[in-house]
Amino acid sequence: MTTLQPAHEPALTFDFRPTLQANRLKGLWLMMSDYRLSYIAAAIALAISALSKTYTYILLRFFADDVLGQKKYIGDSLTSSLIWIGLGFIGLAAFEGTFSFLSGRLAAYTAEGITRRLRDFLFDHIQRLSFSYHATTPTGDLIERVTSDVDALRRFFAEQAIGVGRIILLFVINFVAIYNLNAELAWISIVTIPLILVVSIWFFKKVTKAYEDYQAQEAILSTTLQENLTGVRVVKAFARQDYEKSKFEKDNWGKYLKGKILLFMHSMFWPLSDIVLGFQMLFGFVYGANMAIRGEISIGTYIAYLGLVVWLIFPIRNLGRIIVSTSTGMVSYSRLMEVVKQQREPLLDGRHQPEGAARGDLLFEDVSFMYSDGKSDVLKNVSFHAKPGQAIALLGSTGSGKTSLVNLLPRFHEYTGGRVLLDGVELKDYSRAYLRKQIGIVEQEPFLFSRSIRENIMYGVGRDVPMEEVERAAKAAAVHDVILTFPDGYDTLVGEKGVTLSGGQKQRVAIARTLLKNPRILILDDSTSSVDTETEAEIREALNGLMQNRTTFIIAHRIQSVMIADLILVLDKGEVVQMGTHAELLKDEAGMYRRIYDIQTKIDVELEIEIARAN
Amino acid sequence: MSEDTELIEIEEEEFTSQLTTPVLKRIGGLLKPHWKWVLGFFINIAIVSGLDAYFTFLNKQIIDQGIMLKDSARVMQIATIYGSFILLQAAAVFTFIYLAGVLGERIQYDLRKMLFNHLQDLSLSYYSNNAVGRLIARVTSDTGRVSDLLTWGIVDSTWAVMNITSSTIFMLIINWKLALIVLTIIPVMMIIAVEFRKRILEQFRISRRANSKITGAFNENFQGTRVVKALGREDENTREFQGLTSKMYHASYRAAWLSALFLPTVQMIAALALGFIVGYGGLQINLGLMTIGGIQAFVSYLTFMMWPIQDLARVYSEMQHSIASAERIFKLVDTPPEVHNRPDAVEAKTLLGEIEFEHVDFFYEDRKSVLTDFSLKVKAGETIALVGPTGGGKSTIVNLLCRFYEPSKGVIRINGLDYMDYKLESIHNKIGIVLQTPHLFSGTVRENIRYGNLSADDAQVEEAAKIAGAHDFIVTLEKGYEQGVGESGNLLSVGQKQLISLARAVLARPELFIMDEATSSVDTLTEALIQRGMDALMKGRTSFVIAHRLSTIRRADRILVIENGQIAEQGSHAELLKLRGHYYRLYTQQFRHQLEVAYGVVEEEGEKEKVISEAVAAD
Repeated sequence: MTTLQPAHEPALTFDFRPTLQANRLKGLWLMMSDYRLSYIAAAIALAISALSKTYTYILLRFFADDVLGQKKYIGDSLTSSLIWIGLGFIGLAAFEGTFSFLSGRLAAYTAEGITRRLRDFLFDHIQRLSFSYHATTPTGDLIERVTSDVDALRRFFAEQAIGVGRIILLFVINFVAIYNLNAELAWISIVTIPLILVVSIWFFKKVTKAYEDYQAQEAILSTTLQENLTGVRVVKAFARQDYEKSKFEKDNWGKYLKGKILLFMHSMFWPLSDIVLGFQMLFGFVYGANMAIRGEISIGTYIAYLGLVVWLIFPIRNLGRIIVSTSTGMVSYSRLMEVVKQQREPLLDGRHQPEGAARGDLLFEDVSFMYSDGKSDVLKNVSFHAKPGQAIALLGSTGSGKTSLVNLLPRFHEYTGGRVLLDGVELKDYSRAYLRKQIGIVEQEPFLFSRSIRENIMYGVGRDVPMEEVERAAKAAAVHDVILTFPDGYDTLVGEKGVTLSGGQKQRVAIARTLLKNPRILILDDSTSSVDTETEAEIREALNGLMQNRTTFIIAHRIQSVMIADLILVLDKGEVVQMGTHAELLKDEAGMYRRIYDIQTKIDVELEIEIARAN
Repeated sequence: MSEDTELIEIEEEEFTSQLTTPVLKRIGGLLKPHWKWVLGFFINIAIVSGLDAYFTFLNKQIIDQGIMLKDSARVMQIATIYGSFILLQAAAVFTFIYLAGVLGERIQYDLRKMLFNHLQDLSLSYYSNNAVGRLIARVTSDTGRVSDLLTWGIVDSTWAVMNITSSTIFMLIINWKLALIVLTIIPVMMIIAVEFRKRILEQFRISRRANSKITGAFNENFQGTRVVKALGREDENTREFQGLTSKMYHASYRAAWLSALFLPTVQMIAALALGFIVGYGGLQINLGLMTIGGIQAFVSYLTFMMWPIQDLARVYSEMQHSIASAERIFKLVDTPPEVHNRPDAVEAKTLLGEIEFEHVDFFYEDRKSVLTDFSLKVKAGETIALVGPTGGGKSTIVNLLCRFYEPSKGVIRINGLDYMDYKLESIHNKIGIVLQTPHLFSGTVRENIRYGNLSADDAQVEEAAKIAGAHDFIVTLEKGYEQGVGESGNLLSVGQKQLISLARAVLARPELFIMDEATSSVDTLTEALIQRGMDALMKGRTSFVIAHRLSTIRRADRILVIENGQIAEQGSHAELLKLRGHYYRLYTQQFRHQLEVAYGVVEEEGEKEKVISEAVAAD
């Protein structure tokens, strides 16, 4: 008997579903919950750091004007005031450094923290989305969202939002500082700022576009390269090396040209903005120098101004770049929210929550099923009764509805008409988690995970399994001996970096996996197509062992595997056209089952004839 | 970029190389054809950094000679110089960005071209020993890293060195004693900067590695979603996944805060010097040895010295990786092709003659024998079917025949002459090949067929498609022959790809036809079309077929059962069946299986009947 463990959602720190907002900025703000304080602290630290820098120049002014100019000393001598001022500089630098570090660290804490829980959430969320969502969404598209888009959001928090904040703070603080030195000087120092801001936004929009072009060309080049390398035998067989060289040359040169355009844009923008900013500064210098000569400002004020104005003007150029790049973060937010808003499959909901395992009595009453697009019935009025421990075979062509029928049992799909009763209770009243615990599936080409064979067998048991138990399952699945021939035995990695298992071996590992899970109901996809005769016998034996005492549904392709079934359903276009045992069905001369059976025997006869002819 | 390639890149990034003269010379050699460009951006970057330092000096002049002396005219004079130098600097900025940037693109272009062209010449054995992902990394990321070193690396370090040098010169001019003191802290700042960079890079690598594992976990979970759901593994998976994200979190967080600590630390050292300057400089002013403008200049020289030091540290720490990249590139380019033309190779006039394998052995580098003492004589126009288990050596025979590989021992003769005495191209351009997993290139259907004969006109392409049985399905495509096939042809079904690659082989008008039949089942109609196409192709040609289909096997003139690198049985279909050996077992199993597949699909029953009668009639 299986011990039923309650399936619980792991304690994820944060649910991102409420961050789904029409207003994207609001959504991003909600995402920051728990981290807002640290982010605000990062901004405050940034402000303190910027202020300290600014005060360095104010101190410089005090040094020049009061100490050197008017001989106003701290303490009693020049030496002592020099020491104090020197210490002041060091202190301010320490302040500036400490807070700039704090700000960086807090911003990183926020950005990395949000990203981490976003990744966790997405992983958990996506695996709880419905079966049909997974069936209809291309893997590549999902991967793109959970990697590139998540990273774009990370950059939004780590670089862009804080970057905009930094530049604005620098601007405001230094402007106020200069304003306090001299209002006139402050205003004339920012005459060209609006121009620079507008032009840089315009430029970076253009350059983003040019960069995308450049990247697209790079992608084309990569494709050409990849196709050439993977198709090397074709290239060589047709002696097309020269043709390939010229094809690559075209793409390679194309990329060079696109790169040139991009570089031309950059090499125009930076010096031109240098000129504007340079003359803006020079204008301030000359204006300030003349004010100093006229005695309107002190020499110390002028020196402080020289330092401050740099931090006022130059960062503005980058503001354009960051503002343009935030649009990427916004787009990514929307793309991620498209995934977040998908409805999850409730795993635990169900009125009927039995304590122990199911008996495995399944009653289908007039069951129909159609996909949500409502186009056509996949299953029509299917009725039959599977008693505990019985084997039910489903026979029919591709598209006859065999797979759809078994997909109803673990509630991968919900039937749309009629009802299915498990142990007398309707399937919809059971929780999905409970049902899936009761059902084991062995597919024709089972999916194994890239981890060790042992872990693959233990996969899905949900508890620690002693090695003997794993081996017992493997032996029962007739795969133990095969596993021992691998260099690392049970610790052999499956997949790309490990061994490649044959179809038959994979299937037997999956059988072991299912044996260990010990479900009451079994779904077998029994088409041993690409395996040799010996393996086939072994698999059959393993399967027979697995079917003992379980209600089993066999998706069958051949008569041999159907013959032993207690009940055979012959399906055609979603309907059960024949039902009964092998012996019963054979009696119906005109039935589909008889036709299939006849063909099967015909094959044997033909084979005999064939061989006889050769002799 | 594929996950594989990314992993390879991360792995390879961990290699660093020490500077050795030959490698450096060779890397420098890449710049040789473009030395004018290098000189150009070198001069311009020098102008830019020299002017930067000069501007600070000019500010000092404004203070000392303008403001202090109350000389407005002098201020204007200096401002005029200042203004014209701003213009000059802008021109220099334009020039160096453009020259260095375009040169970088150019070097990348050159390297990629060199690598790609060399890859075309390398033999198949090179490809079997080097994963495609690795070769892609060679052409894409390694070239990028080398060109970055040669352009921006030079730009940044030139700028940094020039900047520090010119600042130092101006400081020496202003007050040499103070300048010497400042100079002593530069090496300290350098060392700290380099140490920081190393640690940050290390954390970045850990984080990237974790990132690619995260991508892998996502990928696997999406693909295995049915199993995950069926086994109710959701909670466990999330827990495992959290372990991965946690690892990534710690590395990225550490990298980020190390970066945040880096500048303040360097700054702090500068501040110590600054405090000292103010104190010491103040005393000097009192003694009349130093001006206020001079102190201001020292302060700003020191403040802005952080940037060049940061740049130098970056270039230095990345340089070792770039040199490792360069070494990998050179190694690839230095690999000679294993299969190549002999000096006195002659043109093969025809392959339609006797082909003979004489005691041929073949082994890969690991010397494990794949083919042992293999002998075979084939007459012109004969069709040979190769059957047997995977890994038995069938593909090796075909690869040897195509001279993708050459025998490790023994001789292959065509028309009596050792085929290594023929020119490689003259053999290859007489061969038509259809692979088990047909390989198409991005582009249209027409372009893919034309690959077989680049000078064929549209009519000839369509003629070939008709012969191969591909025409009928092509015209049903939305854009017909102009339909794009997608990357590696993945918009088409396997059967369709096979038909197109048959048409491609037809168009090549080969004298020797080689086919590796697909094992995956295609629908019956396509199957019949492929069969017809093959028949058309084999007519009047010598053919080798790695066969899986009964009809193909039965139609062969001779069947070879290949096991463990040797011929286990050979003869005609009837002869081999009589033996009741390997072939008999293979055949009956295959026969049963094939018919079962055919009958299993109930609704296509009528279709299957036809195949059966065909199969029987063909015998």
